[in-house]
Amino acid sequence: MEDKRSELKKIIMDTKTLPTLPGVINKLNTLSDNNKASVQEMAKIVSSDQVLSARILRLVNSPAYGFYKVSTISNTMILLGVNVVKSLALSSSIFAIMENKSVGLWEHSLGVGVAANLLAHKLELPECEEIATAGLLHDIGKMIISLKCSEAERDILTLVRDRGIYTLEAEQEIIDTNHAEVGGWLSKSWFLPEKLMEPIAYHHDVAKSVNHRIKTSVVHIADVLVKASGFGNSGDRYVPEIQKIAWDTLKLNEQIMVELVDAIEDKLVEVRNFSLEMMAY
Amino acid sequence: MQKIPLMLAKAGMMLARNVFRGDSPVGMPICGKDTVLTDSLIRRLDQMDVQSVHVEGHPVWEEGERSLDDLLSELDQRFEKSLQNPLNAILYDIYRKHLTKSMES
Repeated sequence: MEDKRSELKKIIMDTKTLPTLPGVINKLNTLSDNNKASVQEMAKIVSSDQVLSARILRLVNSPAYGFYKVSTISNTMILLGVNVVKSLALSSSIFAIMENKSVGLWEHSLGVGVAANLLAHKLELPECEEIATAGLLHDIGKMIISLKCSEAERDILTLVRDRGIYTLEAEQEIIDTNHAEVGGWLSKSWFLPEKLMEPIAYHHDVAKSVNHRIKTSVVHIADVLVKASGFGNSGDRYVPEIQKIAWDTLKLNEQIMVELVDAIEDKLVEVRNFSLEMMAY
Repeated sequence: MQKIPLMLAKAGMMLARNVFRGDSPVGMPICGKDTVLTDSLIRRLDQMDVQSVHVEGHPVWEEGERSLDDLLSELDQRFEKSLQNPLNAILYDIYRKHLTKSMES
């Protein structure tokens, strides 16, 4: 069992085996470490890769952010910040596979992005865009498991179906780790900022999140809400339990939740249209 | 709330969302939420190239659409494992009410 776990970790930490890490990212990393680099310069680098730019613009114009009609990379960088654009650039190749291979998971991820954004705005939290991005990326570990261990993925799905357990429990049993931990490894290997890494790695165990517990709580609640609404398909049939620590951290109450459910269901109509349009491409 | 093609809109239905020109969600709304549709209003919207509107309740039934009973039993299944958690019980009630309200015609 231990073998499986370390094998998987090795695969993930070795970035070369992952779906293409665009060369643009390296240049972007060098530039963003340099305080003198301007947004325009960085936007120019991203824009030089047309496929990447198109993918980023598609994500930015998705209902998860709610801007609509952002048409240039430099506007995207100003609206979302360089770190978010970098994370989107890193994950866009995985999203591209996800859109085709597992539409259900893609819809679930978009839904959680939307729900996290709405919750963050409702609670007037800072950095709503980062929170929306963390929502979009929260299940990226599932994609990696599916890409790199398709056999294990099949066993996990069978176990979930036959025993009626949560995906998380099945993953633990088959690969001795779970998609949240895998997502955490991936975030580290990609040098994603900690404010994205914690929500990805701890959205099923909010108490472990130390420095960004508010963001992690938002993503946890958003995940539960989207599963409760039955939108998309995360692989889980059952709604996970709401963790009290997340509820308390965000000081939620019934009234907030009523308004939030209304707003989310309203917005999910748009998400469905968006994902149908995507598939038409 | 239900999104329906303008072709199926009838006088007496109430708008659940603002209507925008050419269905674009940005710009000035041309007809406000809570307006009760009339035949002449529907004609005007048609002339302005509006393709679809969001209306209150669930006035139009399409083939293959799930009934409220189906939706509620799916909701029950989804919450089967977590209802003993008081916070999940709150969320379950909220969703149950939401579904019931949105399917009322």
